[in-house]
Amino acid sequence: MSTEALVRPHAVAVTIRRHAQEDPAWVRWSLTLFALAVVGLLVVVPVVNVFAEALSEGLRVYWNNLFADPDTRQSIFLTLTVVPIALAANIVFGLAAAWAIARFNFPGRTLLTALIDLPFSVSPVVAGLMFVLIFGLQGYFGPFLRRDGYSVMPYLISIVGVGLFILLFLLLRPSNCQTRKGFWKYPWLSVLTGSGAVFSLLLFVQLYFHVWPRNQSLKIIFATPGLVLATAFVTFPFVARELIPVMEAVGADEELAAVSLGASGWRMFWDVTIPNIKWGLVYGIILCNARAIGEFGAVYVVSGHIAGKTDTMPLRIEKLFQEYNLPGSFAVASLLTLVAIFTLIAKAKLERKFPTTANLPEPKTIETQL
Amino acid sequence: MSILIKNVSKKFGSFKALDDVSLEVPDGDLLALLGPSGSGKTTLLRVIAGLEVADSGTVLYQDEDITHHSARDRKVGFVFQHYALFRHMTVAENIGYGLKVRKTPKAQIKKRVDELLKLIRLEGFGVRYPGQLSGGQRQRVALARALAAQPRVLLLDEPFGALDAKVRAELRQWLRRLHEDIHVTSIFVTHDQEEAFEVADRVVVMNEGKIEQVGTPDDVYEHPATPFVYKFLGNVNLFHGRIDNGKAYIHQSETEHVVFVRPHLLDIERVADGGDHFRARIKHINSAGPLVKVEAITEWGALVRVEMPQERFRTLRLLKDETVFVIPRDVRVFEKGRIA
Repeated sequence: MSTEALVRPHAVAVTIRRHAQEDPAWVRWSLTLFALAVVGLLVVVPVVNVFAEALSEGLRVYWNNLFADPDTRQSIFLTLTVVPIALAANIVFGLAAAWAIARFNFPGRTLLTALIDLPFSVSPVVAGLMFVLIFGLQGYFGPFLRRDGYSVMPYLISIVGVGLFILLFLLLRPSNCQTRKGFWKYPWLSVLTGSGAVFSLLLFVQLYFHVWPRNQSLKIIFATPGLVLATAFVTFPFVARELIPVMEAVGADEELAAVSLGASGWRMFWDVTIPNIKWGLVYGIILCNARAIGEFGAVYVVSGHIAGKTDTMPLRIEKLFQEYNLPGSFAVASLLTLVAIFTLIAKAKLERKFPTTANLPEPKTIETQL
Repeated sequence: MSILIKNVSKKFGSFKALDDVSLEVPDGDLLALLGPSGSGKTTLLRVIAGLEVADSGTVLYQDEDITHHSARDRKVGFVFQHYALFRHMTVAENIGYGLKVRKTPKAQIKKRVDELLKLIRLEGFGVRYPGQLSGGQRQRVALARALAAQPRVLLLDEPFGALDAKVRAELRQWLRRLHEDIHVTSIFVTHDQEEAFEVADRVVVMNEGKIEQVGTPDDVYEHPATPFVYKFLGNVNLFHGRIDNGKAYIHQSETEHVVFVRPHLLDIERVADGGDHFRARIKHINSAGPLVKVEAITEWGALVRVEMPQERFRTLRLLKDETVFVIPRDVRVFEKGRIA
């Protein structure tokens, strides 16, 4: 009986069919060649050409094109200012949104997921225009910002202060109900009175010492704040989009385990959540960074093209190109291309670490112990 | 540490996961929460652990009301079905984590970790990562991690659910012995009655967010309190009938009462001995295994299952399509209204 069970009449047929399913050689070859030709023509040749053009007049000219021209220097500096701020904002937002969407079930969850994707589907030019319509001269807040723009700053700073205060309160609060004494016992009362005190103190200090100029225009559009806003908006989905599936795959069990073992929310976040999502986070940051550096459309609308003031690198490339300064424009373009190539390499390396559920550190020193 | 649960209710949307549940777990008990999926057993365990907040009711450890304490203050050890080991930490770091976050000196942590590695028979595995262990080893590490900080209560959520049958049987016995050694009050959730009966001192049978019965395994199996418990624990034949003068009359058209009979409490005879019996025609015989399972069609057309030992089957020499007399040895009668 057992020998009968081992014989499989279909086994032979299967091996024959595998050969039959393979396509003829000419199909395989022509498809491969076609794909290579398209990639070569559309990707490799232009990229190589960027470097060829940039270096066409020698290394010395290349260097001068990049760093001798004050406007170009300023554009590199501006990109290096705008991108980190936008990136930091999106990391904080991405973590918070991914956490909320992956861990909680709340009304409006689907809507939030859809809204995160909005910047992907809106044309960057429209995004830039939105900010102009809100903060520009003819926009809703335009006249006010122009008349006495800095008068909102004390309030903004005070609100940020209150946020930090509440965060500190939650972090410092003794976890055990029994050991809570004094004001720790009445969290609502303490937070409310504390927030009030922090807010009025910060407001008073700023107003009394005239920290902010009065009756001056606060420029958002055609200035760095507008560039940051536009860049942050356009690159808004990257971190959250990468983190949501990773957090859903990892699940909440390890976090709950940490809490039941006595970890505080803060400890749990750094000991368990961050290590579990770190590759997804790094991946999101890299993509976000690449997109933020290269952003053109939205930034074009809000920048106002003031040379040496509001030109970021992509805008500078366009301007140099329009001025027939081809080597200069290609020199700046080569920097952006380098960033793109590094991004691709990092992306390929990181993708091997996915999915995080199967991602484990290498065994270290087993031999010594066993 | 004894646990007292008073009138706990919990809803998820409109679904009642726990419906006014009260339960007392004496100190040092090993208790099984047994029930089908969706019966609320895991929710109850999570409410006890503080991983879920009850809508109403109170939870007490000893005399201390901990209803509003967070999970981290309850000092419970919780073991998850899928282990939930920290995948980026070594086995030793996993086990020592509870001590580390409670600011125990390093030397003391190392001592305790070594002690626990010995207890779970994984000495020398401390430097490995969870991904390099088998399922059974991982679950033992999860147990050691839960025990490291000397929890007041040990809670296990389907601890053997993700393991294969052989490892599962080994771990059950190991858990039983472990509990005899350390005597920490333990509650584990399972949907496997065999597991509950083998491991637990007492079994709580749950259904639809309510506790159906609490008792020792013998108690629950021999004296099921409700039709649900009777049906849930083992196979059962179900007949409709009515009660008259303390006797149950089985007949399909009567619907006042429902009669439950376990297959092994039915006997087959060739001749009627004058006692209670009914006639049935044998439809199918499955003689593989220690018990022979016989399926027969009763005179009123219902299917009845009978189980008998091999010896009995051999002396009877039953054949397919033969008509025999079926004699119930023990039955349970429940009123129709009590069956949901």
